Amino acid sequence: MTGQPRDAAHWARYTETLEVAGLRKGAGTRNVEGRRPVSPLQGFGKMWQKTFKVRLEGVGASPVEVVGAWREHFPEISGFGEGFRVPSGGLVPGAVALLAGGLTGVMVLYADEESFTYMTPEGHPFSGWITFSAYRDEDGTTVAQAQFLIRANDPVYELMMLVGMNGAENLQWQGTLRNLAAHFGARGRVETKVVCVDPGRRWRHYKNLRHNVLIRSMLHALIAPLRWLRPRSTG
Amino acid sequence: MAVKHFEAEVRREPKGAVLDLRGEINGFAQGTLDAAYAEAEKENPGAILLNFEGVDYINSTGIALIVGLLARARATKRDLSAYGLSEHYVEIFNITRLSDFMGVFPDEESALYGTVVK
Repeated sequence: MTGQPRDAAHWARYTETLEVAGLRKGAGTRNVEGRRPVSPLQGFGKMWQKTFKVRLEGVGASPVEVVGAWREHFPEISGFGEGFRVPSGGLVPGAVALLAGGLTGVMVLYADEESFTYMTPEGHPFSGWITFSAYRDEDGTTVAQAQFLIRANDPVYELMMLVGMNGAENLQWQGTLRNLAAHFGARGRVETKVVCVDPGRRWRHYKNLRHNVLIRSMLHALIAPLRWLRPRSTG
Repeated sequence: MAVKHFEAEVRREPKGAVLDLRGEINGFAQGTLDAAYAEAEKENPGAILLNFEGVDYINSTGIALIVGLLARARATKRDLSAYGLSEHYVEIFNITRLSDFMGVFPDEESALYGTVVK
């Protein structure tokens, strides 16, 4: 491979840890700032590939227009609403957005005209990537797709996946694709395909528990009274 | 811009199977890549090398496909390595943390005999 690659501007730059920019600093960024972005290989649980697709029947929008709208209106279309806080520069490669009011977040790993990919940080329920894309089917219909390559980040999340988080997450993204279709005036049926890519659990990654944002937030809340009692410096 | 086709061919070497990859690795490459990997696995080699010298574009879906291969390799306790990546794609392998889990080598000889790109 030689010369300047045409996708160079589409990828985030290498970063050891996440830096939240373009958003108000403070309590809302505590679980994201300084965390390392993690690939599907760094998690604990089974590795899943989940694909959600909707055909935008009767919609004239091109894949580029669909992905553009999806990216621009991501908080509303995903259903996260104000809980998904987009930095002032938008969802560009390397940008970090907050999720659930700052409980966790995502980094934009890749973005081009027809797709964009989020990478999750340590402590997030799962480690991995979510790619939102669109393409023309053989009959010319635009198809929108969300594809996940993920595994639960630690044993607690893996247990939660088994007892309902997996299904809840599927409902969340099926709803997202229905919302996207509705945004373009279509009523598409969402196709769901779930494949277990690696059934093994990475037991040596059990220590990821130390980053678990639910546990950390709970501990943070429990020790809040101690912080209030701590003498403050004066002067 | 016209999309280049993706092709993958399997070559047998004494120390393992080599997948010579050519073209663009994106979502459309999945069938070809999976079939080539299955072919490479047939003689149960201890190691499989991905040769990226002929690859000029990889998007995030393409990286996810490589992770899928890595998961398959790990499940069967087989080494999966890469060589022939440009400096740009070595950086992408670092960004995505893929290089934490697979050896990335400058060329076939070092992939077979072991000098990792840093």
